[in-house]
Amino acid sequence: MRFVLRRLFAALLLVFVVASGSLLLAQIAPGDYAAQMGGNPAVQAAERHRLGLDRPLVEQYTTWLRRSLTLDLGDSFQYRRPVLDVVGERARNTAILALVSLVLATTIGIPCGILTGSRRGGLLVRLIRAASLMLVSVPPLITSILLVTVAVRTGFAPISGRLSGARLIVPALALALPLAATLERLQAQAIRDALHRPNMLSALARGIPRRRLVWHHAWRLSLGPILAIYGVMIGSLFSGSFAVEIVTSWPGLGDLMRQALTVRDTHLVAGCAAAGALFLGVGVLAADVAHAALDPRVESETA
Amino acid sequence: MPRALACALLLTLGTACRSSAPSSDDAKTTGPVRGGTLVASLRSEPRSFNRYVDNSAAADTTDALTQARLVRINRRTDELEPWLAERWTSAPDGRTFTLTLRPGVAFSDGTPLSSADVLFSFAVVYDPKLQSPLASGLRVQGKPLQVSAPDASTVVVTLPAAFSPGLRLLDNLPIIPRHQLEPAFKAGTFGDAWGLTNGPGRMAGLGPFVVSDYVPGQRVTLTRNPHYWRKDASGAPLPYLDRVVLEIASGQDAEVQRLEAGSIDLMSQADLRPQDYATMKRLRDRGAVTLTDVGTGVDPNVLWFNLATTQPSRGYLQKQEFRQAIAYAVDRDAIVNSVYLGAAVPVYGPVTPGNRLWYSENAPKYPHDVARARTLLAGIGLIDRNGDGMLDDQSGAPVRFSILTQGGNIRAQTATVIQEQLRQAGIAVDVVPLDFPSIAQRWMSGSYDSIYYGFQASAMDPAMNLDFWLSSGSAHVWHPEQGSPATAWERRIDELMQQQIAAPRIDDRKRLFAEVQKIFGENLPGLYFVAPKVSIATHLRVGGAEPVLLDPKILWNPDTLYVKDGASAPQR
Amino acid sequence: MTRRTRTGVILAIGLAACALAAPWLAPYDPGRQFSAYPFAPPMRPHVIDAGGSWRAPFVYPMRLVDPLERRYEEDRTRMIPLRWVSGALVRVDGAEPWFALGSDALGRDVLSRVAAGARLSLGVALLGTVIALAVGAAAGAVAGYAGGWADAALMRVADLVLVLPGIYVVLALRGALPLVLSPVQVFAALVLVFSLVGWPAAARGVRGIFIVERSEEYAEAARAVGAGPMRVIGRHLLPASLGFLYVQATVLLPAFVMAEATLSYVGLGFAPPAPSWGAMLQDAGSARGGADAPWLLTPAIAIVMSVLVVQLAAPARDPLLWPADNS
Repeated sequence: MRFVLRRLFAALLLVFVVASGSLLLAQIAPGDYAAQMGGNPAVQAAERHRLGLDRPLVEQYTTWLRRSLTLDLGDSFQYRRPVLDVVGERARNTAILALVSLVLATTIGIPCGILTGSRRGGLLVRLIRAASLMLVSVPPLITSILLVTVAVRTGFAPISGRLSGARLIVPALALALPLAATLERLQAQAIRDALHRPNMLSALARGIPRRRLVWHHAWRLSLGPILAIYGVMIGSLFSGSFAVEIVTSWPGLGDLMRQALTVRDTHLVAGCAAAGALFLGVGVLAADVAHAALDPRVESETA
Repeated sequence: MPRALACALLLTLGTACRSSAPSSDDAKTTGPVRGGTLVASLRSEPRSFNRYVDNSAAADTTDALTQARLVRINRRTDELEPWLAERWTSAPDGRTFTLTLRPGVAFSDGTPLSSADVLFSFAVVYDPKLQSPLASGLRVQGKPLQVSAPDASTVVVTLPAAFSPGLRLLDNLPIIPRHQLEPAFKAGTFGDAWGLTNGPGRMAGLGPFVVSDYVPGQRVTLTRNPHYWRKDASGAPLPYLDRVVLEIASGQDAEVQRLEAGSIDLMSQADLRPQDYATMKRLRDRGAVTLTDVGTGVDPNVLWFNLATTQPSRGYLQKQEFRQAIAYAVDRDAIVNSVYLGAAVPVYGPVTPGNRLWYSENAPKYPHDVARARTLLAGIGLIDRNGDGMLDDQSGAPVRFSILTQGGNIRAQTATVIQEQLRQAGIAVDVVPLDFPSIAQRWMSGSYDSIYYGFQASAMDPAMNLDFWLSSGSAHVWHPEQGSPATAWERRIDELMQQQIAAPRIDDRKRLFAEVQKIFGENLPGLYFVAPKVSIATHLRVGGAEPVLLDPKILWNPDTLYVKDGASAPQR
Repeated sequence: MTRRTRTGVILAIGLAACALAAPWLAPYDPGRQFSAYPFAPPMRPHVIDAGGSWRAPFVYPMRLVDPLERRYEEDRTRMIPLRWVSGALVRVDGAEPWFALGSDALGRDVLSRVAAGARLSLGVALLGTVIALAVGAAAGAVAGYAGGWADAALMRVADLVLVLPGIYVVLALRGALPLVLSPVQVFAALVLVFSLVGWPAAARGVRGIFIVERSEEYAEAARAVGAGPMRVIGRHLLPASLGFLYVQATVLLPAFVMAEATLSYVGLGFAPPAPSWGAMLQDAGSARGGADAPWLLTPAIAIVMSVLVVQLAAPARDPLLWPADNS
């Protein structure tokens, strides 16, 4: 429990560091929000004053810091609403996309990996291996562009319009496929390792069917190493979702952050970065807790 | 299975028949339909519903749907029409107008409209603390209009100087409810009134619809204003539609996809990009959309050089001959063919043939002529001195400048073509695609060579665009807000424009403005290359649309728009 | 070295050579616009003419029939022979262009642009990797060799960077720089950002190797005969880390190729008209870009190929190290 609390505290600290760091970076960037309103300089000056952009940088920053301690991340300039609200809505969409993709990747990748790891040859195994070697080399940016192209040509899934289950197909697939490939490769390796353990070899020698061994025992042994991977994978999930969201116009955090960066909505930039860091922290923590629950040694090592 | 096939065949035949029968016929026989929901897309997230503080396209669109003015410029006929004021008289000097408010007009909350609301609207728009972006469109010679209200239904407006468009100015001022907004105005919080959270469901407007709901990132829902005052020709109350839903689409691609999928009826910023035209044509042939050719665009993109800040090392950037040489060196047809896929016409000045009343045939034209460009450049000492094929100035430095432009759209593409064309004429160009804030910042600080950008036209009449024409104007982009005219030709344009806006007769105004266009074309403070042919696509179920060249191209007459399946249509 | 790794290395070297030689291989200048040929489809080389007889490779010229519909027709009456020309590998004579992989919106040759883009996209990733590894190795060496507070401080920083959400950090760093400048400046900016994000993993690994190797006999012996720290590090310890650095390079390189593509695609990296792969993909990613003109997806294939090649060149790794690709 202390382990969890400590990690939680570290995650919160990380969120804070990321948010304030990105705020500072966005503030020193050339151009500000008022400048992009265009036109009349007097209107811009009024806008700058309203948003407090005319005050010294240090003062703006410390004001934000003080307020952020009470979980108030300020107002978004362009939406004229609290950053937490705006980010919350988008973060929910990103979380949905990430979760669905993770589940999809797991349900595709793990069984395939068990299959390819436990068998030597066969057409199916070769096919899966070739596909996964290909897919690990395809970044989500490209899977999503390709899937959007296919969707436009065939109309197999909607890529615009209201958010719905069907609308999730293209982005979720685009994000899940490369991950599934990674999982397949890891799972195959883990199964191979598990099957080479002495107790497995002796079980085989005792005449227990290989199939039974794989599906009942070996996969459970391989669970530990695979779960350890999930923590790391959360990170790639969120960096991948950035590209996927923009290509498939899924209204998530990535899209919001890009938009905030281009209009110099600094509070919103900080809010998005904080949400990203929070996701990452929570994801890694969840994976670690699951890992620790399965393997008690982990806790004593890390704590 | 064969049966299903036959059904499918029949269905295709059915659609084919429908598409061959022009849709306008149905409309004539059945007339406008009451009820139903129109779904349009909104390209950007709204920032506020308060048009007095926000001039974004989203605020403009909601303004067109929810607000009303004293008088309206009919965007199709360009005639001035009585609107909230049912009639007016003008004094002999042409500067004082007495307007009578239409009786029985009420805000959407039921409060009757009175002249106090008009006075309040003027007070807000001219408030120095608020700095409303609407204000510049309501000044003559930089001075505000004088407004008074002898009684509750009469407003007297006095122009500070002779101004022949007269009451057309009032088309710029949505009338807002004093009873609702005065407390905020007095408290100094007007800028936050009618915001995204405190606006929907609470704004009292005079337009056909009211904003009833806003879901961030998804949609703005507008419902019928029960107190709307206008009736159609048969005396039935307007608007026809029950609801208008503005779906927020991130980017033009998403909008086109939605139009294609039939999940929206039209795009509120309606003009199609050339690359979408083929798709829409296919849809029209399938009988899914109506495709309207509206004419030549009236707000072409412009390339201007920084004439405000002098650059001693590259003085040629400010030379008239240099700009003329560029005008000759660029093959406008190449831009038309590649960037616009043929759907554009070459233009040479800010006033395009699309502006039928004001366009002058006599302004200078610059046909593609590289030899002539080279001669002009040689005349100011720019020749190839080291034999590399590119021009050099007197000091031997290569002739080179940068074009700032907006990345990721047709402007960046056009700038790239211009770059290639000028390379062939021996001028090296760096295209720098930027986002709008950076361009605006570089422009205001004067740290740029040239900018290729576009401005949305708000009116056809040049007198309504004085900010651009006069040397003191803030939209006089190449050298804004000059204390006194920096050049002889700018002084001359200033004079001509002053006469032009005061001249009572339209023929005199046209003659004077033709002269302005000629001087502009000779000096080329802005270089114009092409104007797009504007095409607009709407879903077949949309009726009553009268697409025009000025924004909002379709939603300018929202009260008479209708959907043909009307109330019977399932809610979407 | 396994056969797979060897194949990968050879292919990688070939790819780099192609990128370097792009200006001599590509038929046209990447910026050259054939304004009469927007969105021209790929022109297949033929060896059999309309009459059915064999000929030297040739293409049929294309003609734009309907600009708005982007419809092209082959002119079957004329044949343009393909030639080897000095300055370009293969091109055609005469005024008409040959688009082996089609043309883009402005009538630019996609093949030439992808070839030129290799220098930008691969160059930025390669330089970013090299600098990240150099910085990482230096930091790891100092930490591992010196130990004490330097070790503690460096590793704290490295840990912090490692747990930061990669893409958001890259975005924030990129956002702090002026948004778009000349391609050279973007190049430098991206290399900087990539090095900042990429060094910690290398630093941790090198430090670990140093700590183990420092106490090995040969290092102790070298110190005993009076070799200075520089000499011990340079001659003995760094070579021991080379294998690890190679593995790390095969992790960073694909990640940076993908990062460049993503950043340029969203408008935060190279901007058009620079022919970077990510910037070129903007055309393919737009509404019907890829659907109407599939040849615009060529840069995507180039990206996948280069990532694949590097994956092949990577030695078989401990599976637990695998997903670190996603840093």
